Amino acid sequence: MNMNLTMKAQSSLKKKFLGFIKEYMILVAIVILALVTAIAEPRFLSLENMTNIMRQFGPLIMVSLGMTFVIIGGFIDLSVTGIVSLVAVVTLSLIEPLGQIPALLIGLALGAICGLLTSTIIISCGALTQAEALFITFGMSTVYGAIALIYTGGETNHLSWVTRDTSLFKAIGQGNVGFISVSFLIFLVVLAILWVFQNKTYMGRAISLTGGNKTAAWLTGININRCIRTIYVICGFMTALGAIVLFSRVTTASPVLGKGYETNAILSVVVGGTSLAGGKGSVLRTVLGVLLVTLLSNCLNMLEVSAYMQVVLRGAILIAAIWLDSTRHR
Amino acid sequence: MTKTDQDYILSIRDVSKSFPGVKALDSVSMDIRRGSIHGIVGENGAGKSTLMKILSGVYTRDSGTIVFDGEEIKSITPHESMQKGLSIIYQEFNLVKTMSVGENIFLGRFKEMKGMRGTHEKARELLDSIGCNISTHKLVSELSVSERQMIEIAKALSFDSKLIIMDEPSSSLTTEEMRKLVDIINQLKEKGITIIYISHKLDEIFQLCDTVTVMRDGQVIDTRPISEYTRADMISMMVGRTIENEFPERPNCVGDILMEVRSLNTRKLRNVSFKLRKGEILGLVGLVGAGRTEIVRAIFGADKVKNHEILIEGKPVRIRKPSDAIEYGIGFVPEDRKIEGLVLPFAVDTNITMACLDSLTKYGFLNESSEKGIAQKHVDALDIKTPSLKTRVENLSGGNQQKCIVGRWLEIKPRILILDEPTRGIDVGAKYEIYLLMKKIVEDGGSIILISSELPEVLNMSNRVLTICDGRITGEFDPTKTSADEIMASAIGLCGEENEYESNYESAI
Repeated sequence: MNMNLTMKAQSSLKKKFLGFIKEYMILVAIVILALVTAIAEPRFLSLENMTNIMRQFGPLIMVSLGMTFVIIGGFIDLSVTGIVSLVAVVTLSLIEPLGQIPALLIGLALGAICGLLTSTIIISCGALTQAEALFITFGMSTVYGAIALIYTGGETNHLSWVTRDTSLFKAIGQGNVGFISVSFLIFLVVLAILWVFQNKTYMGRAISLTGGNKTAAWLTGININRCIRTIYVICGFMTALGAIVLFSRVTTASPVLGKGYETNAILSVVVGGTSLAGGKGSVLRTVLGVLLVTLLSNCLNMLEVSAYMQVVLRGAILIAAIWLDSTRHR
Repeated sequence: MTKTDQDYILSIRDVSKSFPGVKALDSVSMDIRRGSIHGIVGENGAGKSTLMKILSGVYTRDSGTIVFDGEEIKSITPHESMQKGLSIIYQEFNLVKTMSVGENIFLGRFKEMKGMRGTHEKARELLDSIGCNISTHKLVSELSVSERQMIEIAKALSFDSKLIIMDEPSSSLTTEEMRKLVDIINQLKEKGITIIYISHKLDEIFQLCDTVTVMRDGQVIDTRPISEYTRADMISMMVGRTIENEFPERPNCVGDILMEVRSLNTRKLRNVSFKLRKGEILGLVGLVGAGRTEIVRAIFGADKVKNHEILIEGKPVRIRKPSDAIEYGIGFVPEDRKIEGLVLPFAVDTNITMACLDSLTKYGFLNESSEKGIAQKHVDALDIKTPSLKTRVENLSGGNQQKCIVGRWLEIKPRILILDEPTRGIDVGAKYEIYLLMKKIVEDGGSIILISSELPEVLNMSNRVLTICDGRITGEFDPTKTSADEIMASAIGLCGEENEYESNYESAI
């Protein structure tokens, strides 16, 4: 960031503007997307739709924030799909016997433990590349998903079937403080913590250095295995949080609830401008990425674009983002 | 333009090129005489590579004219420039490793060669013409560096090149291979092909070139026939000041024994034992692959070790990973700074403080203001030339990058600093600064283990030299009393299976 600031100071105002546009192309995309949809379909601007967007934003942003650290650290995590499903079904099933707060805490811990398990396997396999992590986490995703299926016997459970008090989950899923949803408030708090963690702590720095050059980081005494463990635990924890926000909103937990979250989270992180090559990125960028991805699906729904076509567009945007990332560094 | 096109194959007039924040070329002009070998020398960052990339069409110039073979070149792609007869052989070759020699030479032109048979026949002819007998069916991945270079030259000839630019062609060649390259370059010259030869090594420049252009800070300082230069002239023009000597006076502050390594064995090393004294510069000499780097990596905990014993100040220590070594005050400047040393896309300050992050951390939080202070301190003390602390380290020249890594280790106040090829790819001026820095480190009570492929560097800087051959230490020398030839003989392993150093060492214990 600072690097860009000094460079901008040296160049003219026009260059400054172009540089800003190039760096924050995504903001421009968000504005254009919102404008076009608002003109074509005024319902887009209704309060109801805005609340709707905020709610869709909730689960994906949690998973994506976690994924940001994994990608900055030079790895990738496909296991979030399995974790979302597993955490959702386990947490929901524990409300009845244990009460809602213990269920919530166990759910979050379960996510972190899944991350720890994944990272332990990655470390013991000696996997140091994104490609190896891709396969290992894909495998782990299947394992977590399968456990969720076995646990529930393939059944979908409803929050409304629980006879105990479920006010906490209802608040997370549907509650508002003023016109801001509770899930959005949770997001703001988490974002602040993660931003401080990324930019102000030793571990945050060690993670980016590991992502930037693993060999150099190791040769200067940075504990790479600890970094790998940390990024996957953060990702697992954040995914669990996302899972809880998600099933609180939809009020059901099926063992395939997490389907599609891995691609959407990676898409959001990369579209936001965190480099898949590792090292460079930021949680704030990911917020913009998730905003674009959520807005896109909302807008396309508003404009009645078919679901299949939406998938095509999402793929096109991911490729465009990767291409932009590679040109930015030239 | 008063000179005739006949005399000059290439005329460059007032060519400028800027990158964000840097003026890489500032109104550069030069004329390359047809059929000559034209040397270009200059420090890293002088603009040599930028100029070459403009010629070949990788970059576009901001202003100026280029006339090649009587024709003004406006904008050009790398492929067009090759077809016009201008080829560049880069340090990193552009060869497809999984394809054969013949296929590489005529890559993308198999049709013109009338199929694979024609391709291999033509390739054979070309290789024969430069006296190279590699089979055209061999895969490039099986070839040595110098053989790959031959393939690049043959490829350049296949385009009927009139001008071949060689960028640091000798950087990874052995002396024997270099001799062969000199022969080939002279042959090319006899055929009337013009050569632009870019190198750091002044010996080669004086041996090969007819005319030499010196560049500095994006400008041409002078172009003269080689006979009008002396070595000292050339160096002072390159660095912009007079350097009396290439090496500072040898530091002389050797004290007590600091570290002892006993019977170090790894997959590669056999029974390596030696002592390092306080304030000493210990040089390790050996051929590439002899095990020099393996020794220091094992000490630093970067490689797996079968068995060994390390004593620091008489006490045995356990070093299993780099962070252990750092605890004991050992620093390591690795061989390849871009791959193992720097985090290239990161800022200068981040790269400098990498090794001392622990000491900047309190309750898990980094102290950013003292981090900035530390980085600034080393940038000032080592005179690292960078626009700001936040500049990406990949934008610095090789010498300044190396200084960032040295600065990184100075911050932990190392008792032992391991320098593996500290001056590779660094220009003369920066080299001298690195030598001064080494001197200062030992004078402040540190010790240095120095590995270098440049024998003069080891001989002029070290207090003691160990020769290494095939994973063993084969000799110990005092560089002030021994000739370079004697040391080289020991490093090549002319001393046989019975090894005086090892038996002496054992009897001494």
